[in-house]
Amino acid sequence: MSTKAALRPPPGVGWATQVTLGVAIVFLLCAWAIDLTPGALANLPQQMVTVLGFFYPADMSYGASRVLPALIESIQIAWIGTIIAALLSLPLALLGARTLFPRIARLVKLISATARAFPEILLAIYFVPIVGLGPFAGALAIGISSVGMLTKLGAEVVESIDMGPVEAVQAAGGSRLLALRYAVVPQVLPEIVAHWLFRFELNIRASAVLGVVGAGGVGGVLLNTLRYRHFEKAAAVLLLTILVVLIIDVASGAIRRRLLR
Amino acid sequence: MNDSAMRPLRPARNWALILGTLLGVTMMTVWSARGIGFSLTELACNLPGGSRLLVESWPPEFSYFPRLLAPLLETLQIAVVGTVIGGILAVPVAVLAARNLTPGVLVWFLDRNVMNVLRTLPDLFWAMLFAAAVGFGPVAGALALTVFTIAVISKLWSESLEAIDMGVPEAVRAAGGSWLAMLQFGAIPQALPHYVSYALYAFELNVRASMILGLVGAGGIGMVLETQRSTFEYPRVTLIVLSVLVIVLVIEQISEAIRRRLA
Repeated sequence: MSTKAALRPPPGVGWATQVTLGVAIVFLLCAWAIDLTPGALANLPQQMVTVLGFFYPADMSYGASRVLPALIESIQIAWIGTIIAALLSLPLALLGARTLFPRIARLVKLISATARAFPEILLAIYFVPIVGLGPFAGALAIGISSVGMLTKLGAEVVESIDMGPVEAVQAAGGSRLLALRYAVVPQVLPEIVAHWLFRFELNIRASAVLGVVGAGGVGGVLLNTLRYRHFEKAAAVLLLTILVVLIIDVASGAIRRRLLR
Repeated sequence: MNDSAMRPLRPARNWALILGTLLGVTMMTVWSARGIGFSLTELACNLPGGSRLLVESWPPEFSYFPRLLAPLLETLQIAVVGTVIGGILAVPVAVLAARNLTPGVLVWFLDRNVMNVLRTLPDLFWAMLFAAAVGFGPVAGALALTVFTIAVISKLWSESLEAIDMGVPEAVRAAGGSWLAMLQFGAIPQALPHYVSYALYAFELNVRASMILGLVGAGGIGMVLETQRSTFEYPRVTLIVLSVLVIVLVIEQISEAIRRRLA
């Protein structure tokens, strides 16, 4: 009896309990600060059902005439943004690889970390007055903010390659540029293109919200329909957005899997 | 002659595929560029006016900072509330979406696909929807982040749950334990560090997202940003953007440090 008790860990307030309690207290304080009362939470499901009722039936004629063009614009914004980012990030990814350019890599990684810290929508706030209201500002914002992530991921891919071919090219008298062309790029290209496609999927979602600050796409349409409480029209926006994003995700995912096989 | 026989054959290139891809990408790019009015001349014409605005937006108006404190705090509160409620609700959603733990294939199938559909909508869309449903303010933002958090954690954690060692849960079942007992003692403890790590990651994403939720009226610093932006007070906009970046980076560093220790 006594030996068993000695073997058992002493009962008491464990580390996990303390963390949970701390989180609970912070949560309650925050909920109180933003006026999220238990009563409001209890009312929520019923309120949501009522509001959801307003969304039915979706106004599909509005969907065909206004939402589809806006969605196409969102796709175009995402595409141009991804192309800009791909073109800029390919050389940066090579320069950012520790294994190839030990001295410049640090600087490139610092730049890419800074670019990653900006959400696209904050960049769009600056690009809209510079290039004017509209999708072009959105594409630039998406392009610049994607460069950071694509450079980071690309540099990691380059760092993970087999250095044998690089040494072989240089041993055969090839220049550093030739080594990049014949030894590095062929090894990394499939994986890097897969990252581009993945970023395109993310950029579709990002470009969908840019309309909120006047940078084109479907976000502005949704904001307007909800502002004037045209819920049937908003339902068309949501349905079509879900459909288009799902189709693009599935198609892009299939291509990515083939690339990485 | 002999030399060429020794050499391995050069791999044949699939020219049709290469040309087809290039053609497709070029066409898509041209079509998109025309669609969004991509023009370098317009950029060149607008640049002088735009650069004036960039010059004006620096230095930031630091004297405005005291008025940002309350909205910044509210932003963090939105992120905390969204992460905690979403993190709790994500537990059952993730368990039902894990193939090895789910009580039925139908539940698994429904859960997985409903979550996939929810994930297609960006966070700001949820903020707009909840702002329309419960009114403008931080509660709408917190609810939007709740949905977003469930989507993020359930996806990542259901994958960790599928990777656990099934021996322990089976032992609990064999000893006569119920499904819930199997979860509580067999499955969840194995994946608990992953859960904490993903919850912190979701918190990072939520802090980042909560900063812009206000653009659509869902509370926090974004609402101040929206009013200053629409009146072209760019020195203030710069101050807001900088303070947002500092907070996001600090929280990411803290959270990443904790996550590295967990891993």
